[in-house]
Amino acid sequence: MAAFEFMFAALWTDLRYPERMACMGVVMILAPVVVGSWPVISAAVAAAAAGLGLTVAQEVAEDNKTLQQETTSSFEMDIDNSSIGAGQLVSGKSIVLDKNGITLRVTRTERGQLKVHASGKGHSQMELKSMADDFVRKVNQCFIYNRTVTELKSKQFQMVNEETLQDGTIRLQVRQWVD
Amino acid sequence: MAQHEIEITIAPDGQVKVHVKGAKGKTCMEYAKWLTQVIGKVKDQKLTSEYYEPETKAKIHLTQELRQQQ
Repeated sequence: MAAFEFMFAALWTDLRYPERMACMGVVMILAPVVVGSWPVISAAVAAAAAGLGLTVAQEVAEDNKTLQQETTSSFEMDIDNSSIGAGQLVSGKSIVLDKNGITLRVTRTERGQLKVHASGKGHSQMELKSMADDFVRKVNQCFIYNRTVTELKSKQFQMVNEETLQDGTIRLQVRQWVD
Repeated sequence: MAQHEIEITIAPDGQVKVHVKGAKGKTCMEYAKWLTQVIGKVKDQKLTSEYYEPETKAKIHLTQELRQQQ
């Protein structure tokens, strides 16, 4: 009976205010996909590095084998949701980042995915994994932010508000007037 | 003129919540499609029916009277 009353109330509201029926919105939850050319992705890598306090040791450096030999522990992960255009980054070259004795090496795999290799003398696997995870999350966020803002500007959206919350979440509010 | 508003929340791990407001039916879905192409894969999606600004409508009432001529 209560359900019937609710349905009747909703129908009555719709009949009284037909404009409410016409005005629709959509809420979506999206998983990020990092796809782009190397310059676009390297910009996100640089932004993520700056955000986490990592310093760029070498950009597109030659593969440094001596660095790997010196380290006692290392951790490696592929970023599944990523794709870098072929020919943008030559295999065997990478961006090298550094923080507190942990080195992060960002490379492109043969399948075109982004790969992060963390290594550091005297650091546990857990520490290296944690650093690599944080870095990958930050790259995702920076990439999506850059791409979204660029696309919104190209569609003539006006930025109404932009804020970064305490937990690092970025909130954007854009507006557009259409005929 | 209609106001279309989009609220985008990018979580620290890159997961994105998008809320399109004020766009009607087909236009709303076009925004959703475009943002999916820009950002990534849809994990969840739901339509909302919201009231932001009533559309201005002009109504003309016509009455017809029939008079019997004597």
